Amino acid sequence: MRTRKARRTVVTGIGVVAPNGNNTEAFWKRTHEGMSVLDRVTREGCEHLPLRVAGEVRGFEAVELIEERFLVQTDKFTHFAMAAADIALDDARLGRADYENTPFDVGVVTAAGSGGGEFGQRELQRLWGQGSTYVGPYQSIAWFYAASTGQISIRGGFKGPCAVVASDEAGGLDALAHAARSIRGGTEAVVVGAAEAPLAPYSVVCQLGYEDLSTVEDPTRAYRPFTSDACGFVPAEGGAMLVVEEEQSARRRGARVRAEIAGHAATFTGASRWEESREGLAQAIIGALREADCAPDEIDVVFADALGVPAADRAEALAIADALGAHGKRVPVTAPKTGIGRAYCGAPVLDTAAAVLSMENALIPPTPNVFEVCHDLDVVTGCARPAELRTALVLSRGLMGSNAAIVLRCSTDPRT
Amino acid sequence: MTDRLTYTELAVLMKKGAGVTVDPRDMEQRPGSAFDEYGLDSLGLLGIVGVLENRHGRALPADADRCKTPQEFLDLVNNSLMTGA
Repeated sequence: MRTRKARRTVVTGIGVVAPNGNNTEAFWKRTHEGMSVLDRVTREGCEHLPLRVAGEVRGFEAVELIEERFLVQTDKFTHFAMAAADIALDDARLGRADYENTPFDVGVVTAAGSGGGEFGQRELQRLWGQGSTYVGPYQSIAWFYAASTGQISIRGGFKGPCAVVASDEAGGLDALAHAARSIRGGTEAVVVGAAEAPLAPYSVVCQLGYEDLSTVEDPTRAYRPFTSDACGFVPAEGGAMLVVEEEQSARRRGARVRAEIAGHAATFTGASRWEESREGLAQAIIGALREADCAPDEIDVVFADALGVPAADRAEALAIADALGAHGKRVPVTAPKTGIGRAYCGAPVLDTAAAVLSMENALIPPTPNVFEVCHDLDVVTGCARPAELRTALVLSRGLMGSNAAIVLRCSTDPRT
Repeated sequence: MTDRLTYTELAVLMKKGAGVTVDPRDMEQRPGSAFDEYGLDSLGLLGIVGVLENRHGRALPADADRCKTPQEFLDLVNNSLMTGA
């Protein structure tokens, strides 16, 4: 156990494709500026649906970023993931020359909430409109949850352990933990994260069944967690991919060590049982702190799940207090996702990216569109707050009942 | 437009169905070259078989999607269409 624990997992590359930026720099700039990009849904075939506001990824030209033979056999959620993976690999300066002789040392893990809805809809329309012989064979792989992992692996030539985590929105954090387990088990690097594309007609109609979905028309009012105006959540496209590596291996190749994935835990408390999520989330936090060997008051910032449903917000505020004690009322809490929406499994990975960037920039990004907080939490609103940040806690819950927490430590921590 | 499948048409199908850009003259001049070399995978070939079957309103032999080379595929498709005519 001790020797395995010695193999630490560190973040060396961050790749983002999000509503507020199609690269990591743009994402961080708008995130720390507290800019909200929530806007009316403009996707073809969605305009008349009751979902009025979402976080759309705009100006993303897949044909300029991804080879045609990968484009034709993949859905938009995989386009986002492949593009984000490219950015992360570039950021980590991990190129083919680094692993072409050791391809089994690099794995891929993604999480997915719904797979390729737009691609699937097109093929199903052919099925019912023209007949089964008109359904293309790539349907068999494109709408599958595992598509992004498979395509990133094939495209990059990564032959190490590959996996997809389908564990609800919190799966974004579980994927990071899965990658860390691979690294403890001997893998040197993992391309890991999640991206989603839930803004296509079939996918939007599926989401209309979620009672927690916000259908408010005003983009500034549609997603206001932790306030008395909380009226549900706004969905988003995009996500983030990270390059994580075994620390010594990263240092040997001269990579910049950005942060350590120090601890994680996950629990399950059942679909839409927000009151019960209090205990589930608190246990996830306690488990993640334990794995990280981290005391509650060492947490310098919390990236909240911030669902925007009153009962869920209350449960989260209480869970933070339950797990962190008195420190839970003092620690700064932020939810930058109120400016971009929730990209399902991509959301907690975007939060993880933001947490690493926050520690590097000594700046806690604010929670856009949120002003009067009605819970006993120190929510960062308005402007970014300068702060020395050594340890961050990222929380996530899914609509189906998964809860997860992850502890990140900045790389300048004397223990790393 | 002939009923026979040509290298030019095959190249169009490979581009449209599988996103693979290939020079038809290259396929014609190197008869032994495999689909693999052009970046066409088995699902890509299966898609081309489907398009041709829909176009001609009839099934191709069951092993059509297992052809390894463009030449093998053209021979099989054209023989099948001729005998069925």
